[in-house]
Amino acid sequence: MSEKPAYTKPLPDLRPEDAPFWEAMKEHRFILPCDDTGKPFWYPRKYAPGTLSATSWTDAKGTGTVYTYSTHFIGPSKAYKGDPPHIVALVDLDEGPRMMTILVKDEDGYPSMDPEDVAIGMKVQIVFDDVTDEITLPKFTPAG
Amino acid sequence: MAEGTPDIKEARRMLGKGICIAGVGETEQGIISDRGSFELLTEVTRTTLDDAGLQLSDVDGIVTAFSFVESTLMHSTTLADYMGMKPGYFASVAVGGATAPLMAVQAAMAIDAGLAEVVLCVRGDNTRSGISSSGMIAMAREMSHGAYEAPFGLTTIGGYGLLAQRYMYEHDIPQEALAAVVATQSEHAALKWNAMLRDAVTVEDVMADRWIATPFHAMDCSLVSDGAAAFIVTTEARAKNMKKKPVYITGIGEGFSHQYISEAESVASVRDGLGRAGRRAMEVAGITPQDLDVAEIYDSFSFTPLIALEGFGICGPGEAGDWVMEGNAKLGGKLPMNTHGGLIRQAHLGAMHHIVEAVLQLRGEADDSDKTEFNGGNHQVPGAKLAITNGSGGILAATSALVLSSEPPSAA
Repeated sequence: MSEKPAYTKPLPDLRPEDAPFWEAMKEHRFILPCDDTGKPFWYPRKYAPGTLSATSWTDAKGTGTVYTYSTHFIGPSKAYKGDPPHIVALVDLDEGPRMMTILVKDEDGYPSMDPEDVAIGMKVQIVFDDVTDEITLPKFTPAG
Repeated sequence: MAEGTPDIKEARRMLGKGICIAGVGETEQGIISDRGSFELLTEVTRTTLDDAGLQLSDVDGIVTAFSFVESTLMHSTTLADYMGMKPGYFASVAVGGATAPLMAVQAAMAIDAGLAEVVLCVRGDNTRSGISSSGMIAMAREMSHGAYEAPFGLTTIGGYGLLAQRYMYEHDIPQEALAAVVATQSEHAALKWNAMLRDAVTVEDVMADRWIATPFHAMDCSLVSDGAAAFIVTTEARAKNMKKKPVYITGIGEGFSHQYISEAESVASVRDGLGRAGRRAMEVAGITPQDLDVAEIYDSFSFTPLIALEGFGICGPGEAGDWVMEGNAKLGGKLPMNTHGGLIRQAHLGAMHHIVEAVLQLRGEADDSDKTEFNGGNHQVPGAKLAITNGSGGILAATSALVLSSEPPSAA
């Protein structure tokens, strides 16, 4: 693996209940939290939203459809200065839940997709971007 | 008026005490680097007391909000101490952009409960000049989920952008509809004495502006400003001895649909969630959208009032863009909207200025022609008697709305 420059963009806040997700991401496995009926939900919480039932984790395909997106010409911090626009999207996963992600090309370093190539309704699939030794972010790219 | 469900009747019972706004005030807005947060709040309190014809000692309750600059977990009492007050009732409200109408509701409930009779509601900050860079980053991250949104580089502007792009996709809304909101409000801000941006812009100007996050150009976004505004809530009985004609709070309503934008179920569910606030406020007031004379609608972005107009039932789903493009929201139009310029042209202080402007409209005092040093103009809606106003916190997450009236509520 080539040496990456220090990652200065926002990293996830880490709470104890999220540890299984980030552990799985590190192993390039995508998992979703489920309530006690097996229904997956997002975002992860120790107890299921609405019923506060016990939860478990299930393997997910990492495929879905773009519900909406916004091309960001300015990022939330100085770390984005000089970058090409990045495309924040909400993806409806095939298992049901909707999650936020960023749309990237499936190339070395996962550069941002070109805005003109993005459309609502586009099929996408997960890529695992190891942004630090500890954190792997779930990014999405057009389904191949 | 229709009798209403028990909760509607109870809201009418409370407001039937003649809960009213007896004084308003606002400072200059913009870049005010020579004054601190509490100084601005005190300055506007002086203006507002003067408007009502009151002394500070007449005030027995204080409701404040929060500050991005002065960090305190006890904002209302910290300010009370700064101003030398010993209030019998105090509360700090913090629900983002929904805070201002919620402050009015908090004051009304305190009065109804016998905790206070004259409540100062005051909000202001030197957000533009006083905030640190770490404060700015914290503010940018505030509306994102810290684990599952922030790492993807979401901004508040882009968070609204996600919803706006889906709305435009579902209803086939052109970019011009957003620009028409900006152009309309820019004409109003040109007349408002303390608006930051005083030049009228066209739809073409907005469309040609630089992109921030699609579908928003820079001019589609609200301002970051220093300044303060306040209003005094009391009862009709107390207001009788004050200087100005009271403006009555005749309807209140709240609505919530999601916290994080990832959690928003659909465009329709967001419209319904925020719309509940306005629909309920109108139901409590016993009015319909056709009765309104003026609308001061929260406008964090050009898109924001469109979905609110639809949620409140002023326009049908997907119809607000055409409605604005046809000129209905302009002064002289069917329902003039954001007659002070709003957050995108006047200043950003949550919904404080929307309330102040609605009160001025209903008192017939929204003519700034006499403010020649500020090049003010007449933005009064002739004969305005009924107004709706609202604020939304988060990305259209939590909304609070008020109906204000120049006349007391009819007996429930």
